[in-house]
Amino acid sequence: MTSPEDRRKFLKVGSIAAATGFVGNLLGRNANAQEPMKHSDMRHQDNMPQPIGNPASRPEIPESVEVAAEYDGFSRFKPSRGLDPDSDYYIGKLVPGFRKASDGPAPFEAPDIPVLPYKMEGGVKVFELVSMAVQQEFHPGVKMNVYGYNGSMPGPTIEVTQGDRVRIVVTNELPEDTFVHWHGFELPVQYDGAATLTQNPIKPGKTKVFEFDIHEEGTFFYHSHVAMQEAFGQVGWFIVHPKKVFGPPVDRDFGLLFQNFHIPPTHTISDSWAMDWNWHTINGKSGPYTTPLVCKHGERVRVRLLNFAPMQHHPIHLHGHTFWVTGHEGARIPKSAWVPRNNELVGVAQASSFEFIANNPGDWIFHCHMIHHMMNHMVKQVGPRIRDDASVDQYLANLSSRPQVDASLGDKFATPGYPQKMLGMEMSDDFMKAIWSRKEVRGMRANYPMSVKGLMTVLRVLPDDLYELVMNSDQPVEKGAVFAEIVRRFGDPSAYEPAPKMMM
Amino acid sequence: MASPIGRTYTSPPPVPTAPYGLDELDPSGPLFPDMRYDGSDFRAAPAPVYVDGEMISEASPVDAETHGYGLDDFLTLAAQNNPTIRQARLQISAQTAKALQAGLYPNPTLNYIGEQIGVDVEGDKDSPGEFQGMTMSQRFVTAGKLKLSREKYMRRAHVSEHLAMAQQFRVCNDVRIHFFKALAAREIVGLRKELLKTAEDGAVTARELYNQGQATRPDVRKSSIALQRARLDVLTAENHSREAFRRLVAITGVDLSEGVVSGDLMPQGEPISYQEAMSLVLTESPELAAARAKLAADRVTVRREQVEWVPDIVAEGGAGYNFDAKETVAAAGVSIQLPVFDRNQGTIRQAQLDYRRQQEEIRRTELMLGQQMANVYQQYLTALQIATEYDRVIIPEAELAYQELLESYKANRVDWPTVLDAQMEYFDSRLTRVQHLEQARTNEVLVRGYLLHGGLMAAPGPTPPGHIDAVAKPR
Repeated sequence: MTSPEDRRKFLKVGSIAAATGFVGNLLGRNANAQEPMKHSDMRHQDNMPQPIGNPASRPEIPESVEVAAEYDGFSRFKPSRGLDPDSDYYIGKLVPGFRKASDGPAPFEAPDIPVLPYKMEGGVKVFELVSMAVQQEFHPGVKMNVYGYNGSMPGPTIEVTQGDRVRIVVTNELPEDTFVHWHGFELPVQYDGAATLTQNPIKPGKTKVFEFDIHEEGTFFYHSHVAMQEAFGQVGWFIVHPKKVFGPPVDRDFGLLFQNFHIPPTHTISDSWAMDWNWHTINGKSGPYTTPLVCKHGERVRVRLLNFAPMQHHPIHLHGHTFWVTGHEGARIPKSAWVPRNNELVGVAQASSFEFIANNPGDWIFHCHMIHHMMNHMVKQVGPRIRDDASVDQYLANLSSRPQVDASLGDKFATPGYPQKMLGMEMSDDFMKAIWSRKEVRGMRANYPMSVKGLMTVLRVLPDDLYELVMNSDQPVEKGAVFAEIVRRFGDPSAYEPAPKMMM
Repeated sequence: MASPIGRTYTSPPPVPTAPYGLDELDPSGPLFPDMRYDGSDFRAAPAPVYVDGEMISEASPVDAETHGYGLDDFLTLAAQNNPTIRQARLQISAQTAKALQAGLYPNPTLNYIGEQIGVDVEGDKDSPGEFQGMTMSQRFVTAGKLKLSREKYMRRAHVSEHLAMAQQFRVCNDVRIHFFKALAAREIVGLRKELLKTAEDGAVTARELYNQGQATRPDVRKSSIALQRARLDVLTAENHSREAFRRLVAITGVDLSEGVVSGDLMPQGEPISYQEAMSLVLTESPELAAARAKLAADRVTVRREQVEWVPDIVAEGGAGYNFDAKETVAAAGVSIQLPVFDRNQGTIRQAQLDYRRQQEEIRRTELMLGQQMANVYQQYLTALQIATEYDRVIIPEAELAYQELLESYKANRVDWPTVLDAQMEYFDSRLTRVQHLEQARTNEVLVRGYLLHGGLMAAPGPTPPGHIDAVAKPR
């Protein structure tokens, strides 16, 4: 089963998940895994959806790899710390993933951003990058005008290995001069791309070739070196995998690229001169249109997070897990200097690598903790939205005569400060359809789009069978079903509360 | 002692109560209707009524029940009842009566004559007189004086006809002007009520913002000021609307109860050019026609005065008894005035000068009309240009801006005060459009109606000062 297609076909056939669970149990290698609920306790709750996947499956380790379920008191299958802060395995610090180091680096995966293909020419990896104006769909149907590369904003990911020689042919399809800077590389100065200090501009319609050897490894990026073009979205990942794969090997290598824009109401053009920012994107999408990061229970996960906001730093918080900060954009940090965190402040033009063992199944929100970044744009919560029996549709129905305002503010206004919660947010059917059309969100709670806003995405940690169901099968999955199944297996089903389904 | 403001929570300032008259004058109007603010909270206004999810129109029920009058109704009423139109017609009759009188032939005179009474004659010491008898005398008018006099007054009657036509235009134009003013005033009331609703929303919004720490007490007070001003604007507009209707009714000459006007403020036809307007007024103005007719009358006046010196012949004849000759005798006489000193030369000269004066009067009238037209046309054109562009561009743009902001608000992209600003701008633009349409329509009436207005001024007679009406018998 080398491809998702094969896996999907396989799953359609039948109960492979049950079989693997059975094999896993026979091997008995998950002795210290989090104990699932006993089947006899799982009396079907009236308000719970039917069980899905393979309810009998238990967290297990593929037989092909030499890893353990527990290291020095730290379990890869249940929330745990370990026994000794000085241990290499404290909070999963050096607990390896399932992937073998000999398989090379885990593929880098930045949801919603394409990978830039290359061709080999005389031992040189040749990339073609086109600087251009693009339309980027921040939200379903909300297409914003920004600049990017090769039809994408952020630009496509350049992925190479330490020691490669690269040639990047940059063509400028913008109607104005541009420069491209290879951020972080110690390259010959004439290829640095610093506007006019080191090179002449790439004129509209013209091409410039950059060629240099890469001796670094780590998280880099390229961007226009014209300030306003940067603010307008011209950036892309430049990932350099180490020649010698670092331990411990990770199973997942995700990339999240944070950006901010100021786009006035009713408009689609970002105001790159603005000092205030009202649209926030992760990999070019704004929550809830950001694509969740989906991994399997027990995997070692790396998330590289680049803050390319024009002027705002982002305190990034992952729920349900404690992660190690293992590198910044400059280089990998020696293990002795790794820091465990729940929240990491990532400054402008900084990248941080988070590594952790996904030992806590569920849908975990992963977000910037700045209050104003946890929504798409700030508007004052006054007007029909907070008034009883009033809606904007009444105003839109007849523009020539407005409805009478009801002057009774109501008892709720006796509380100074009311309302603080954003009220009356509306999402159209088309919007909801697009949100739910992605496989990564299948089985999440029906109201998930109401909470994931702005610089927010979700880390989904799924048991193998549910991972296969969500990511690789065509089987219909009811909203909330995966979440309920995780509660059933790892949580407290008696306290399960289904989401109101009004947003479906 | 420190001010408590800002140290503990203080509730927002109260909404001001409605000004005197708002409830009485317009019971259906919007105004937090039953609100009695006691310093602590709002009283509720009636919530909008919905049937099958649709809001019921808030059109004033009073308007629906009241009879609506169109322009033609008022024109018909005025034609029948305006006193100045009748005055003007009576002036024509008065002139024809004068013409009749002026052409009447002088009556004969019957004389009794007793001459030399008591003279001694043979055989009779004291005779009854030498002659006792009766004569008839008759003045024979020469040189066609009576015919000319009649013609002169008939021509003045003709002048009166033109003046009556002018008066009719004065009345009709005034009806039209006041009709459009009343129509505009009525539309303005509606728009002022919309703006009041916006101001009410502004007052509510300010208090909502206050409760979220996003507006200060002075901000809330400002919203109260805006609200009260909007209320006063509604009262002013309603008062003005009543005034306009009453003025319109006064022109018609009948007593109409309160009603509403109905019609369209937008001009229907093509706009008129200045050249067209001027040529229209110079060729068709009844005032100018009257002045020209007056010139013709003055020409006859000159001719009439030129024959005045021609002596009439007064012939006298009769019979009596001559007590001296003791026989019946006849008597005869002819008298004629000799134009030795008075050949009416002064009056002829005066009439000729009056004729010259009237020539200048025509020119003066033309120039005066030109001057008035320059002013009125300018106002007409400016108002029409503004109203047209408000109609064509500004209001649709304001409406779209309002709509787009409403949709943005719905999509949580813009806050409500911004929507309210756009709403106010949209209603305010419509208000400006109506004001300029009123200007355009009232001035258009003058441009097309020979600049005549003042339908309740007394209808003028045909003779300006400086005319010869000093003799008992009109001549």
